Amino acid sequence: MVNHLLPETLEEALEALARKQHLLFAGGTDLMVQKRAWAGLPRNFEHPVLFTSRIAKLNFIEKRSDHLAVGATCSLEMMLEYPDTPDLFKTIIGEMASPGIRNHATLAGNIANASPAGDTLVGLYLYDATIVLKSLRGERLVPIADFITGVRKIDLAQDEMITEIRIPHQDFTHIDYVKVGPRKADAISKIAFAGAAKTNDLTVSDIRAAFGAVFKTVLRSPATEAMLKGMRIADIKADLASICEAYARLLQPIDDQRSNKEYRKAVAINLLARFIKSL
Amino acid sequence: MSETISQSLMRLDAPDKIAGRAKYVADLKMKDCLFALTVRSPIAKGKILQVSLPAMPEGYQVVDHRDIPGENIVKIIYDDQVIFPVDEVKYIGQPILLVVGPDKRIVERLAKAIKIEFREEQPVFAWENSVIRYQFTKGEGDAPFASAANTISYTYTTGYQEQAYMEPQGFIGHYDRGKIVLVGSIQCPYYVKNALIRALACDPDKVRVIQAAVGGAFGGKEEYPSLIACELAVAINKIKKPIKLIFEREEDMLVTTKRHPAQIKLAAAIGADGAIRALRAHVGIDAGADIGLSGVVLSRAMIAATGAYTIDNLAVSGDVYLTNTVPTGAFRGFGAPQMLFAIEMFIEHIAKDLGRDPLAYRLDYLAKQHDKTSTSGVFRDPILMPEMVEKAMAMSGYAAKSERYPREAGYRGIGMSFFLHGCGFTGSGEAKTIKAKVKLEKDSEDLVHILIAAVDMGQGVHTAMRKLVASIMEIPIETVIYDYPDTDQVPDSGPTVASRTMMIVGGLVARAARALKESFIPGQHQVAEEQYVQPDYIKWDEDTMQGDAYPAYSWGVTVVEVAVDPHTYQVNLEHAWSVYDCGKAIDELMVLGQADGGLAQGIAYGCLEVMEHDQGKIRQKNLTDYIIPTASDVPAMTTMLIDNPYPLGPYGAKGVGELTLVGGAPAVAKAIEMAINKRITKIPATPEAIMELIKHG
Repeated sequence: MVNHLLPETLEEALEALARKQHLLFAGGTDLMVQKRAWAGLPRNFEHPVLFTSRIAKLNFIEKRSDHLAVGATCSLEMMLEYPDTPDLFKTIIGEMASPGIRNHATLAGNIANASPAGDTLVGLYLYDATIVLKSLRGERLVPIADFITGVRKIDLAQDEMITEIRIPHQDFTHIDYVKVGPRKADAISKIAFAGAAKTNDLTVSDIRAAFGAVFKTVLRSPATEAMLKGMRIADIKADLASICEAYARLLQPIDDQRSNKEYRKAVAINLLARFIKSL
Repeated sequence: MSETISQSLMRLDAPDKIAGRAKYVADLKMKDCLFALTVRSPIAKGKILQVSLPAMPEGYQVVDHRDIPGENIVKIIYDDQVIFPVDEVKYIGQPILLVVGPDKRIVERLAKAIKIEFREEQPVFAWENSVIRYQFTKGEGDAPFASAANTISYTYTTGYQEQAYMEPQGFIGHYDRGKIVLVGSIQCPYYVKNALIRALACDPDKVRVIQAAVGGAFGGKEEYPSLIACELAVAINKIKKPIKLIFEREEDMLVTTKRHPAQIKLAAAIGADGAIRALRAHVGIDAGADIGLSGVVLSRAMIAATGAYTIDNLAVSGDVYLTNTVPTGAFRGFGAPQMLFAIEMFIEHIAKDLGRDPLAYRLDYLAKQHDKTSTSGVFRDPILMPEMVEKAMAMSGYAAKSERYPREAGYRGIGMSFFLHGCGFTGSGEAKTIKAKVKLEKDSEDLVHILIAAVDMGQGVHTAMRKLVASIMEIPIETVIYDYPDTDQVPDSGPTVASRTMMIVGGLVARAARALKESFIPGQHQVAEEQYVQPDYIKWDEDTMQGDAYPAYSWGVTVVEVAVDPHTYQVNLEHAWSVYDCGKAIDELMVLGQADGGLAQGIAYGCLEVMEHDQGKIRQKNLTDYIIPTASDVPAMTTMLIDNPYPLGPYGAKGVGELTLVGGAPAVAKAIEMAINKRITKIPATPEAIMELIKHG
């Protein structure tokens, strides 16, 4: 007998998770599709489902001293409407799926789904977001890049759940985001690019680039970013070709039913080059 | 009221559809209904060695070729498509048997437990097995090539297109005192009925086919439903209980018919003056594993070889190739979209290769009234293309933009297509094959019932026909009744295809309405019937493909403006303008609705909708991966309708349903071509293809 749960409190949820494995269900906009069944039959859930939607404590978005905290059941639409959501995330969410989906979908769900093409992920990687995980054993704070370990793989123990996402405040002077989708709405990215930089006069004090859908996870290159930090803008621009080449070596796009690797790599690099030229 | 026939009514089906009250086939329920699931071939070609069934619980059965009482043939045109295979399969997804039972979970489990052993054979995907070859010539044929100053040749390629109708294919059926009754999502009730008679080897009155609400068909529900109707009828005949067979979206996209991929080779003999002396065309289309309607699709493509132009000397040939892939079939445009893309690009490419102004060059060849058609028939009715081109150019600012964009090299482009569409069945189809019959019946309460087999599949024919009859008879539209066609009630007015419904069926309905009006006796039961008679002057020779291929032609001009992103190669559709001559709009808003939808589908065919197979397996199997445009993708559209009444159409109406699609692809391809300054010979022109062109020509 499958026992689905609709806990009202976090404690109740964590206790259930400690007892046995559950499928955590937030907005369900991915799960309802992934677990689809012949019309009229129940979805093919292989574990009991724990619906998080009634846990009131997780339905929040809040600006704190050094970060924006997004609760695990906060919908993307709510995040879009929140005044202190960084513009980058507003842009990402505004181009994501469709309003109907965004009213159900959550940031936590987009992370847990861990698709290489997950729309919010490029933003979260770029901002060095932290995932807050809770269990009866306690709390873990895991950087997004460590939390997502591969295609649809995440560092989540059976008794844990995502309760919150922390997006650090940043004071970038430049920000760029491009979703290359096959159409303008309801589309899975072929490539996503997000770039950010902080410049003062002639030098770059911080520069970041994140690529989606061209590697098994969102890709950033800490080594390249470290090398560029502190450089003069003019020197970075002069070095454009070798920077692009460094990234091109890292990208490992695939051929699939949506696009091909030549296109994905070339466009990803075009977008990087345009971002650097814009500094 | 004839002056105001074009004035728009609210669609009579709209309230039910908007409120969710309309019953689509999946909404229909019957007591003690069983469910059928199809077990399909996982391989592209091979022999079936053995089928091993699991233990079948009480009430669960399989249905296969052994259960067919009549012929194991789906009646379409050629007898090459089986209902259930006996011992060989020809494509991935071919139905082999049905599992039927009351609980879907158990049906699904049993279907998965069936083991079929195959001996795989080498499938054929190359276009080498021609099963139909047609050819015709006009004037001197291709003789002028021998003395040509110059020959210009290009090959054009088009891909699959999926109809992507709203609800997947399906039927629900039951056994009613010796009669099999099917209700389904269909375009052609009598195609289904005739197929059932043959499969069941029964009298015509032992099968009854009724249309459910249809949320779009686009040709996809023309011949394909006959296959699953036969499967289901065989099952009902065996089990004698209600059974429902409804596809899921992925199943539908993987196994149902799509637009034929085509390869079109064009060559022009150019005189010393730069004029086209002759055109040679070869059209190859991929039928998939069964011929189906491919021969008729091929002939429509070939007849469209010169598009909206007149070229005096012509040699056209074509082949239908069988491959071990999912069968292709009817789709709005029916071969014309492939050919019109090719010829529209070709004339432009000739002009460019000769260093001539493409627009001026094209205008020189535009067909005029009394010109000979490609098949040496005659364009009898007035052709208003020069006026229509002028209007389209004025609305879109074409002249200035087409001069400026190439000069600025700013990745903007504007493209204009000229096109026509032959209305009704090709050749002698209407007179020899269809022989449409219509009936109007006035009951004792003076309600007039329209009894025709034409299906409202979203195009608005229920509203348009009622309006037509009300207008002619000068009676309130509320007193005109038009229910979903039921073959027990309506005569065979032919299929709802080929842009024929208003012009041909509507023409007959209009005649019947006039007759009924003239003989009108209040309170008396009266009937008026009409049957199609080909106008005497229409001559067509099936064997030589010579003469009048169509009784009339609708015409159009479409302009599309695009901006191509130089970093992502994505195409932004900026605006589209169209001018159409469909004779006379029976309802302006309905025609504009057809225009918006048709053009969106046509433009998407040209630049967005990718479907391919990999070793016979369709790669884009759902609407996540098969990209049809959303409202955000469709450009703003400005549409103008030109009156050019056709004498034999009701109030002058000609065909409209397909016309609005066929010009979309060449217009957007030309616009992209201008934006990137490369030759486009293949659609869809995706960002990936555009990148390839920019980088490597």
